[in-house]
Amino acid sequence: MNSPRPRVAALALAVGIVLADSSIVVLALPEIYRDLDTTVAGVTWVLVSFNLVMALAAVPAALLARRLGPGRTAAVGLAIFAGAGVACGVADQLSTLIIARCVQALGGAAAVTAALELLPATVGSERRAAVVWAGAGATGAALGPAAGGLLTELVSWQSVFFVQVPLALAAAVPILAVARDEASTQIIEAETRSAGRPHLWANLALAMISASIAAALFLLVLLLIEGWRLTPIGAAIVVTAMPVAAYFGSRLSSFVPSERARAAAGAILVSGGLGGLALLPHASVWLTLPPQILVGVGLSLVLSALTETALSGRAPQAIHGGWTISARHAGVVLGLLALTPIFTHDIEVQRREAIDAGTAVLLDSPANPLLKIEMAKRISERLDDEEGKVPTIGPAFEPLPDDPEERSEVVGLREELQDQLDRGATHAFSPSFGIAALLGLLALIPIGLARRVDL
Amino acid sequence: MASTRAKLLIGGAVLASLLLVGAYLAAGGASYEPLKSQDPCKPRPWRDPQGLQQLAEQFTLSALDGAACQLGVSRETLARALATDKARERFAEKYGIDDEKLAKAIRAGLVRAVDDAEEAGALTPFIAVPLRGALQNIPLEQAIELVKDGRKIFEGASGILGPLGGFLEELIP
Repeated sequence: MNSPRPRVAALALAVGIVLADSSIVVLALPEIYRDLDTTVAGVTWVLVSFNLVMALAAVPAALLARRLGPGRTAAVGLAIFAGAGVACGVADQLSTLIIARCVQALGGAAAVTAALELLPATVGSERRAAVVWAGAGATGAALGPAAGGLLTELVSWQSVFFVQVPLALAAAVPILAVARDEASTQIIEAETRSAGRPHLWANLALAMISASIAAALFLLVLLLIEGWRLTPIGAAIVVTAMPVAAYFGSRLSSFVPSERARAAAGAILVSGGLGGLALLPHASVWLTLPPQILVGVGLSLVLSALTETALSGRAPQAIHGGWTISARHAGVVLGLLALTPIFTHDIEVQRREAIDAGTAVLLDSPANPLLKIEMAKRISERLDDEEGKVPTIGPAFEPLPDDPEERSEVVGLREELQDQLDRGATHAFSPSFGIAALLGLLALIPIGLARRVDL
Repeated sequence: MASTRAKLLIGGAVLASLLLVGAYLAAGGASYEPLKSQDPCKPRPWRDPQGLQQLAEQFTLSALDGAACQLGVSRETLARALATDKARERFAEKYGIDDEKLAKAIRAGLVRAVDDAEEAGALTPFIAVPLRGALQNIPLEQAIELVKDGRKIFEGASGILGPLGGFLEELIP
């Protein structure tokens, strides 16, 4: 008898890769921005376009899977996803990359919704299928940024896309081999017509919490790389706290059967973690760990619980799964579009204030005045070179003076100036993290209103 | 049992979130931001200058405050603007300040510095009065150099006070 495990693994892998793709490029964005010589707004569309097309295409893709057969739809979807991944990797213009991302999303939507149609027959029940599907999606989303950062730093940003190709093709092989009794066209049409309305409150809560979680991932990565000047690999290591916590959070799910309780607890933890990120008392990566742990545990609880609620008692699963995919990715898009102008404005304001504060430190320092005049000139030139970014001023202090007393004064000045810049960078993200935390809390309203339909 | 576990889970989530937020607030998270710039129009106390170099530095800082107040920018913005020619051009373009306006502001700043120095007891009226007069009419570029390094006001015959500057150098320890 054929073991279902390879097929379950393949389906979970397919779902995980596609849903990881909504966040895997986050840590690659700074490299893409430099390599393709584009604007911050432009490069953000590499992220937004994928999520937008996923949101729009998920339900139509589910309908297609029902009509053409989920096995073929999933395999073709994964092939399109892989092919578009190659196109993303070889893109030498932003427009090409964005178009390829849109095509990736189309293939991904087909694969993910079709996978949910295939899972019940493979794992034995629709409930179990929903658990596997939701869990794979949550894991993929949590692991995405860390994987993207490692690949970008160790290889290149293009490798983020290339590495998905063999994984997608590997997942497609067992799926092709799945034997499934295809329903007749008439039955498929009848089932599709009576699909019923999507679970409004569960999907609304999914959208809101997804916006919140997208903010946690995207803003944290930006803070680490652009604000605190970590390398992509450094940032990737730091954000692994979230998927690790998510893994342990998923263990909790088996102890608490109530989906509403898990969703509520998850939303509270996500909000609490984001609240912690909004109130960082110092520019330290260690201080981001407790908030990340809360967000990681929270996201695994809330995403799986809400997905299970949205799917429970509703058929066909693929279509209602499509609605949850639409809700999640629409939430990501809205979260990014709403918060991007806020934090780009705040970064600019805080940059100016931090530079003013640093200048005040320099002017009021007891260091030798001639030294201060020289430092002021060097720092001014450094700021000119880094217009529009959070500046690094370390190079302006090289070479250090030979005189021990002067050297000590210069090092002290450098540390104080860098402290002011770190404060500015950290404070710039506070309002956006705060808004994301509030969104997470507001998701408690539809969570409270959502009721699971018992089978 | 299931209901108890559900309540424990939610209670645990609330507690963990409140503890984290509370701890970070207590550690100063709400106030972790850069120092705010002081209003340059408000008087800034002088550190007790020991020697000509420190007197010149205090003088320069007061002049910056005075000029910045006149222009409606922060002392720090003006200080950066005067650091290099490129910075000064950008400043002029951004704030619409031509050389004439800048010259007037810097002269006003230098005069304020004399007032602050006299107020702090670092200059006597005997020095302050002619110094004010000299500063009110100096060319823009010389004014900028004086703001960058106030010692030039006092240094011997090449200073703006000429021989009087040399006399002042002798007086100050």
